[in-house]
Amino acid sequence: MKKILIADDEPHVLRVLKLSLEKEGYEVETCANGMEALSRIEKQHPDILVTDIQMPLMTGEELCRHIEEYIPDRDFLIFVLTSRTEIEHREWSRNVHNLLFLEKPVSIRNLVDKLEEYFAGSSDGLKVI
Amino acid sequence: MIIATLLVMLVTVYILFDYQRNDRESLARAQGLDLARLLGGMPWSELIPEAGRQGLLEVLKRSHSNPDFAYGAVVDVAGKLHAEVTRAGVIVPPASIAEEPASWLGQQVIASGDGNTRFIESHAPVFADGEHRGFVRLGYFEPQLALSFSQMPFLATLMLPIFLLVPLFYFMLRQEIKPLKQISERFDHLADKAGLTHVELQPSRALSDFMEQFNSYIEATQTRIEALNQEHENLQMSSKLLTYRNNRIDSILQNFPDAIVVIDEAGEVSYANGKVGRLLSVEHEEIVGKKPREWCRDPNIVPLLTFGDVKSNMQANQDTVQVRLEDHSEKSLQFSVYPLFVPNDESRILGRLVVIRDVSEAHLMRQRQNEFVSHISHELKTPLNVMAMYSESLLTQGVDDEKYRIEAVNVIHDEVERLSTLINNLLAINQYELGGIVAQRKHVRMHEFLEDTFDNVTKARADKGLEFDLDIPREMSMLYIDKDLFRIAVNNLLTNAIKYSKPGGKVSMTATEDDDQIEITVADEGYGIAEEDQKQIFNKFFRSTDDNIRQQSGHGLGLSLARQIVLMHHGELSFTSEQGKGSQFVIRLEKVSTQILDAAAS
Repeated sequence: MKKILIADDEPHVLRVLKLSLEKEGYEVETCANGMEALSRIEKQHPDILVTDIQMPLMTGEELCRHIEEYIPDRDFLIFVLTSRTEIEHREWSRNVHNLLFLEKPVSIRNLVDKLEEYFAGSSDGLKVI
Repeated sequence: MIIATLLVMLVTVYILFDYQRNDRESLARAQGLDLARLLGGMPWSELIPEAGRQGLLEVLKRSHSNPDFAYGAVVDVAGKLHAEVTRAGVIVPPASIAEEPASWLGQQVIASGDGNTRFIESHAPVFADGEHRGFVRLGYFEPQLALSFSQMPFLATLMLPIFLLVPLFYFMLRQEIKPLKQISERFDHLADKAGLTHVELQPSRALSDFMEQFNSYIEATQTRIEALNQEHENLQMSSKLLTYRNNRIDSILQNFPDAIVVIDEAGEVSYANGKVGRLLSVEHEEIVGKKPREWCRDPNIVPLLTFGDVKSNMQANQDTVQVRLEDHSEKSLQFSVYPLFVPNDESRILGRLVVIRDVSEAHLMRQRQNEFVSHISHELKTPLNVMAMYSESLLTQGVDDEKYRIEAVNVIHDEVERLSTLINNLLAINQYELGGIVAQRKHVRMHEFLEDTFDNVTKARADKGLEFDLDIPREMSMLYIDKDLFRIAVNNLLTNAIKYSKPGGKVSMTATEDDDQIEITVADEGYGIAEEDQKQIFNKFFRSTDDNIRQQSGHGLGLSLARQIVLMHHGELSFTSEQGKGSQFVIRLEKVSTQILDAAAS
């Protein structure tokens, strides 16, 4: 079972995503901020990380940079949920590989489709979308 | 004057004595020669007396009245003395007389044996029997300048008139000199720059021409001076005007809100107003007359003040740089460069005008606004996101699950509430900023209003595990307030109290009323406000850096807005807080002000 780690400070988002993705057959773990997510990842790499940007303690941006720095050979994909669409708000992600933005409000259907597509592609090796 | 008189007297005496001496000398010469010739004509035997008889020489001595007579002698050709008569103490000095007959009759000056006395001697030949036998020599003292007492009375009579005449002459001279002195005084006046006037005198004949000329000269000079004065005044006026204009322009440039630098063709600063130094942390004296790279410490700024070839790049342009100052604060400086064209010739420039504007404030504002927009979009999209997810999940699945359906609808409802509060805050703050907010005052029963607001907030957050306590008097006055705005203020205080409470803490709202005012207090037992944050909490967009606070979503608008609303109602919003223990926010509203408004409204 593919493991998905979700980091968001909004408990409702965590709950509805967890329910929906579990229904699709994924193993879902949730945490409320970047710090927590980082310690989970250090213990075990997920197959997918879904993270919000604005979170207390450690933002999604900081989380991604940390991951890029400390796990440069990372093989899991990161989905970043963002409220901003302007290119300058995505500038920071240029040096982070294997990263996708999902604009809020997020459609769960859309996310599920993307995940399926990704895992279908990566069954014969890592595929960067 | 006395010295002059004495001098005149002395000179007179000298001249007198000299004259006398000359007189005596010529007398001695004439008499000597005459007598010598006479005596030389006498027979030799007459000249040389026999023993016991007086000779001619003795007669001469006794009868001769000339006081200068010194000696008489008869000598033979060999110079041997044959007879002599002398004045007491005089010894006939030896003398040689030339042998040529031409010099037999003659005069010579000879000195006495001891050399102290000089004699004018006349000699003549003596013949006996047609044969030259010898000479007669007659000596006279060479007259000397000498003062004798016998002459004193004469001198005194001579001196007296002199003594009287010289001062007289002096005074007369002075009288004559007076006009000249007056002229000299005028000149002194002239030197003192006093006005020139004519010299009015009864001029003596000799001076009258001079005076006339002098006066006409003075007249001409006066006219010239007046003309010069006029010119000087005009110049002074225009100089003052120029100085005034100059000062005005300088004052304008100095007080210009931005820093101004003029860079000349050589790349040197030819003008800089006082703000340049302050803005770039350089002493003003260091700037003018130097190239920017000589005084500008910031490597980012130097290129903005250096233009290389003056001819190239004649466009005005603008650039903004971030400058880190010595006190480590950061500034945003906007550099606007304008070429200074030669008047009537747009192809040449004299230099460049650089206007440096401190845009830190605007930059900060923009940054804050950016942050704000980013924050707001997050705040707006988060509830939207939750609603989207729940509603989508309801559409596609789980409708059969009754429990999930109720949960989803509840969440969506809550998020709608949250969104609505946020939008209200935003609208209110926007209206306030635009100055367009007008309190829509109505009579409001405070008890009901407070109870309703409190319930609305706390019911929605009943799941937070906090203790809520409302303590307000049953009977409260009606206040004339804008209910919607005031609800936002109270709401914000309450949601803050809940947001920043520790688990299990108590959030309370109390109200008290006396004759003058109503006090509404919202208290919590939460994290409190750090001392360094206390000054800033009412600032728009301010958010504490405290992690406990950061963990809660917020947009730095609530307190700022609450305070503005309270101020609009002529009230006061204050707070006390202790970190780790909690905060109390107090709204004070004067009943009087609302009553006056009340009366005005009715």
